[in-house]
Amino acid sequence: MDAFVLITTNVIKSYISKNRDFPIRYFKKMKRKLIYSIGLALSLGLSSCEQEYLNPGSASQGQVVNDQNGLLAMVNGLQQQYTISRAGAMYSGLTANGLTTKELINLNVGNTDEANLQTGTTAVQGNNSLVTNLWNKSNIVKSNADIILANIAAAKDPSVNAQILANTHFYRALALGTLATFWEKAPIAVGENATFSSREDVLKEALASIGAGLTAAAINATSTVGGIDIKNSLLALQARYNLMLGNYDAAYNAANQVDLTKKSAFLFDDVSRNPLFETSFSNRNVAEPVADFGLPASLAPPANDGRRAFYYNMTTGLNAGRASFFTASSAAVPVYLPGEMILIKAEAKARQGSLNEAVTELNKVLTKQTDVWGIGANLPPNSGPQTQEAILTEIYRQRSIELFLSGLRIEDSRRFGRPASERTRDFYPYPLAERNNNLNTPADPAK
Amino acid sequence: MQVCAGFLRTFYSHPNFTYFMIESLAHFKPGLLRVSAGLLLMLLVASAAFSQQASYVIKGKVTDADGPIPGATVSINQTTLGTITGADGNYTLGVSLPPATYTISFASIGYATVQKTVTLDRQTEVSLDATLSSDVLNLDELVVTGSTVRESRRQLGNAINTVKADAIQKSGSNNLLGALQGKIPGAQITQNSGDPAGGISIRLRGVKSIQGSSDPLYVIDGVIVSNNTVNVSQTAVQNQIGSTAQAGTNRLADINPNDIESINVVNGAAAAAQYGSRAANGVVIITTKRGKSGVPRINFTTSFNVNELRKKVPITTYGKQFGYAGLRLHTIAGVSAAAAAANNATTIGVNRNGEANTLLASNLVDVTRYDYQDNIFRTGVGTDNNLSVSGGNDRTTYLLSVNYSKNQGIIVGTDFQRYGLRTRVDQRLASWAKVSVGLSYTNSASNEKANGNVFYSPINSINITNNIYDITKRDANGNLLAVEPTRVNPLTTVEAMQFSATVNRTINDVQLNLTPLKGLTVDAILGVDTYSQVGRNLIPPYPYQAAAGLPLERYPFGFASTVTNAATFYNMDLNVGYEKDLAPELKLNLLAGASYQYSSSNLLRASGESLAPFIETLNGGSTISAGYGLDRYSLNGQFVQATLGFRNIAFFTGAIRRDRSSKFSASESNQYYPKVSASFVASDLEGWKNGSIGKVVSTLKLRGSYGQAGNLTGIGSYDRFWQYNPVAYLGKNTIVPSPQLANPAVRPERMKELEFGADASFLNDKIGLTFSAYQQQISDLVVNRVLAASAGGTSIVNNTGEMSNKGIEIGLNATPVRTKDLSWDVTVLFNRNRNKIEKLGTPLVAVNNVAGAPVFLVEGQPASLFYGVPYARNEQGDLILNSQGFPQREQGTQTGATFEPKRTSEGQPTGGFVNGIIGNPNPKWTGSFVSQLNYKRFGFRFLLDAVQGVDVFNADFRTRQGVGVGEIAEKELKGELPRGYIFANYLIEEWRIDNGSYVKLRELALTYQLPKFLGINSSTLSLIGRNLYSWDHYRGYDPETNAGGNSDLMRGVDFGNVPIPRSYQVQWTLSF
Repeated sequence: MDAFVLITTNVIKSYISKNRDFPIRYFKKMKRKLIYSIGLALSLGLSSCEQEYLNPGSASQGQVVNDQNGLLAMVNGLQQQYTISRAGAMYSGLTANGLTTKELINLNVGNTDEANLQTGTTAVQGNNSLVTNLWNKSNIVKSNADIILANIAAAKDPSVNAQILANTHFYRALALGTLATFWEKAPIAVGENATFSSREDVLKEALASIGAGLTAAAINATSTVGGIDIKNSLLALQARYNLMLGNYDAAYNAANQVDLTKKSAFLFDDVSRNPLFETSFSNRNVAEPVADFGLPASLAPPANDGRRAFYYNMTTGLNAGRASFFTASSAAVPVYLPGEMILIKAEAKARQGSLNEAVTELNKVLTKQTDVWGIGANLPPNSGPQTQEAILTEIYRQRSIELFLSGLRIEDSRRFGRPASERTRDFYPYPLAERNNNLNTPADPAK
Repeated sequence: MQVCAGFLRTFYSHPNFTYFMIESLAHFKPGLLRVSAGLLLMLLVASAAFSQQASYVIKGKVTDADGPIPGATVSINQTTLGTITGADGNYTLGVSLPPATYTISFASIGYATVQKTVTLDRQTEVSLDATLSSDVLNLDELVVTGSTVRESRRQLGNAINTVKADAIQKSGSNNLLGALQGKIPGAQITQNSGDPAGGISIRLRGVKSIQGSSDPLYVIDGVIVSNNTVNVSQTAVQNQIGSTAQAGTNRLADINPNDIESINVVNGAAAAAQYGSRAANGVVIITTKRGKSGVPRINFTTSFNVNELRKKVPITTYGKQFGYAGLRLHTIAGVSAAAAAANNATTIGVNRNGEANTLLASNLVDVTRYDYQDNIFRTGVGTDNNLSVSGGNDRTTYLLSVNYSKNQGIIVGTDFQRYGLRTRVDQRLASWAKVSVGLSYTNSASNEKANGNVFYSPINSINITNNIYDITKRDANGNLLAVEPTRVNPLTTVEAMQFSATVNRTINDVQLNLTPLKGLTVDAILGVDTYSQVGRNLIPPYPYQAAAGLPLERYPFGFASTVTNAATFYNMDLNVGYEKDLAPELKLNLLAGASYQYSSSNLLRASGESLAPFIETLNGGSTISAGYGLDRYSLNGQFVQATLGFRNIAFFTGAIRRDRSSKFSASESNQYYPKVSASFVASDLEGWKNGSIGKVVSTLKLRGSYGQAGNLTGIGSYDRFWQYNPVAYLGKNTIVPSPQLANPAVRPERMKELEFGADASFLNDKIGLTFSAYQQQISDLVVNRVLAASAGGTSIVNNTGEMSNKGIEIGLNATPVRTKDLSWDVTVLFNRNRNKIEKLGTPLVAVNNVAGAPVFLVEGQPASLFYGVPYARNEQGDLILNSQGFPQREQGTQTGATFEPKRTSEGQPTGGFVNGIIGNPNPKWTGSFVSQLNYKRFGFRFLLDAVQGVDVFNADFRTRQGVGVGEIAEKELKGELPRGYIFANYLIEEWRIDNGSYVKLRELALTYQLPKFLGINSSTLSLIGRNLYSWDHYRGYDPETNAGGNSDLMRGVDFGNVPIPRSYQVQWTLSF
């Protein structure tokens, strides 16, 4: 048994051995004292038993991934991690993109990381918390999605199995696409010293996930969290990422399949709050939209553009960003907008030289009076020069206005070859946390 | 093990341990509990043992060269029998013992213990006198080295420092740890906040852990007590401060300093080896007062206290502002041409590091400025009261005490109240058996305000708000008005917000001390420390939210929370000792022990936001969130120790301890901690005392030790699992894998320590010196290592780090004057520690905090450095100014944690912005100086406490300048500094680094012993001052401050902390 009992016994034994007449001389006298002393020692010693304490307030990996309901709960966790809080990918992605492309202005130089993104170039370093959060959350959502996919066999119900697959592939594709939007390279497979792939390969991986997701969505496309139209969202991402890769036919076809009468959105409530409203637009201390959608004067929309009133809060004293999808803690943020799909079709046609078809799509956005989200430019049709360059510039302009604060402008600005003065960085540096702990981290881009 | 489980269950089902014990004793049923059966049988049988013995009376007188010694202890070795001498030095000891020869010890503090033998036979009255000689080093004093274990100082191979009750009582602090400031070699004791319920942290020999706490283990009368910081009163801030900063009070605040008899501080690993996996941070062994046989003795102490702000920070009331009155951050805000035109402002372009010029307003407008410090600070009053009754006979002694104290803080609306009861009963059951029971109850209650870290704390609110608003103005409904947009009116923080905590705590123990055979001792302790905390927070909806536009993190529509924490800790220790003379000159002491420790805490936290009118609890919230945490672990360990003593001059000790805890991974279940130590009392060698060396060096003891100890504080109870955590999310079942991956082999941090030292006295004991040098190597250091997110998590807690501490401790006391009427004693302490993170596994780990302080762990550097943007300096160390004459950020090439500066041909900085080490919150040295002067009935004492060579990250300093209310802002307004100076410095983090060195007049006491009157034996009137003055160059309230609270990672950060007050006390103590 326990060491101390052994010791106690030995002490007594040695005493006895040195006092050979011990039993005769002492036993009677000492019997009771010894018995009770040893009894006490034994009874207290027994308490030194081993016990295992588990945490009833959390589950273990083994419990969760081997159970259908566990996997469903994990799927909900993907969206939670992507969208919630200042450390989430949504806040950091939309804010960093906005500050880099002049959609947003930092209101307090004390917000050092936001200020540095606004300054751009070398001021944005690997220790920037927004850059780090965006990288971390995108990677974690991807790796958690991989855990779900690796254990999908635990979902025995075929319909639920398909639902989990469709939903998980959506978040995985979104996370990969986010990485490819802001970085030149990113890891695809999870692991220590993960190797980096080019952003093109990352986008291809996202498209592979979308393909698998669409197959599963044919069986069950119900959103686990609610609010997301999984099938249309997968198609929208398919269009978006194919456009980024220059696969114009594929982009057009996918965009063409999206049902523009459906809303698909990330939901929030008073506990799980809209992160842009919570941190920035409920007050005037962090960031605020720049006037004229942050566009140079040559691209600024006319005063009667209906989208001004949609995206700006004109009330004095309130943050101008307290509008559109950021009016309250519970305001929903769309996964994609109808305007994006129309403009993807326009751009695909324009880049392929089908200028008339491109203008037709472009005019749908210009003349749109409203849509499922209430966005409408309500402007006359395009009357500018019908050259490819002029039409593409107009498409960029309309994307900048129609898709304001959606995190897409840094990609648009690069793709349309906008002047360097319109963005403070092309790609972000790799976070120090990655660089210091992953030997395969590539060199940072110059700007 | 059925017995164990049953016992634990039964025990646990009785939240009130006192009740449990009483019930067990009163309603003992066979088979109920084996343990209590054992205890009870002991009690029942004990009385029978008296019958075989005869009665004797031993009398005599104990004297020294100058006369009788009152209060000396007379005890019969190997028994628990004993008494103390009266005022005339006489004693009478009535005993019942079998006829035999006994050794009797005569001991008194400051004297060497004398042992005499006496034979008890037919003569029933024996006379025995003793003469003691002085022993300033207390070499023969028995010191408690752990649970029931007492060893003579002579045989210890390591330093153990003792603080006695009288040094605590006149400190002017009613917090036990506060009262120890400046009194313990090797300890750095910091009051983290001036809030009356604020925490105080103690570090022995530097930082020991970077993931856990470096707080030592506290043991009161054998009970391992909790000094945890569980934040129940400051939960509103929890959404902002993250997990690094530890707001709230550490629970030693529940201990009444007046109940303490002595404190033994064990700094090193070897001495503390008995506590195994919990010993690496050192052990503070606290012994409370006990009754002494004799007539009932009553002690009463009462005091009246005044607390006030020691120093204001400079807030400008110069009636000017740049630009226009509505320009926020007028010193640093960029003003666009349009804004300037619209507000009739002029601008000037200011350049930073060659970036595009920023336009700052250059014109001045008239404003009225106020000093809001006058609105949030006040002079607080308070009182501390203690009453104790003690006495007993040679079989039974008792002590009962009650205490009450209440002190107001210097922030309006804050106070701390504590009352408690304590009783200790010692009962001799037989000549060979003694039982002791200690019971205590404490109620601590605090009224607080947000304590730093958030912009709705009183201090932060005055730093962050432009002081051009009359904050006392109210609207027609009597409501306060908005100040600067997004800011909280400072008066709201003290008038409307309520943060409070109440703690009910009981610490109890029952101990058995048996000597069943000559030389054999068996000691058992059952100790329990249990408390419940209830905290409440209220931030009512701001009446001026529409105008102020406060962000959600400031809870514009109201916040209320209730948090409860029920914690239970218990330990059961069994120690068996055996003493044997192996040969006439060789003595063997064997010690073996086992200990079982259990810890459990239940934390329930609920909060409501957007409060309905009038409702002050979370019930009024329209959004309610709640959470529950259960943390449990157990530890059991066994140890054996052997000491060989040669001629009472040389001692050699070896020991080993084995531990197993539920926190450890299955593969790590056996942790062994060996130790060896040796001591040598050279001055007891023959011929020393009379030789020439003996005239100079009266006493000399050399000691050395090597030992290992563990630290559990860095590992969580469930670290061995990858936790998949539930999250409240849109009403859906949601689980999120923790971003912290599981540690594959959880084990305690292990410290190996080598220590050498000497204790000496010189010139006939006029000067005493104690010296220790140590080297600690900490391996298996738990590091929350940052992971590349591509690895599937953002961090992993691993035992991969290494750290070291090296240092020396010197204590010197001298008595320059000692005559019948006049005596003067001085004590000097000096401590120096150098900490280094030897291995981290990653170049840098950021310690996230809300203060914006760039706290980092850097491999190869001391812990918790300030690492951030430095000034660009030339090779001579001077600032490189830009074309406008402003200092600049450093630029160059960053490699890991270091950088190489780069310069243009003109010598200007170029390249990327870089980060480097800009400050160190670990002091170069600490020390203290105590002087005690007694003249007849007067006493005068002061204590100077020094912390030197330390940096503080003063976040508030920059905030005041950026908001435009500080002293630099005033200089820029007056043109004494060029326009743009603050803006130019703003991003340079080194600008916020302050010299935090200080020397404080920590204690000052003037005492007068009143003549005897009305049967009062002794009565003392004292005037006591605390923190009266500080010599420092700090640009804030007080460099002794920690926004991180009791966090060991975030040290020396000033972010809205309440300054430590200056306090005055009139104290009256009397005994009769």
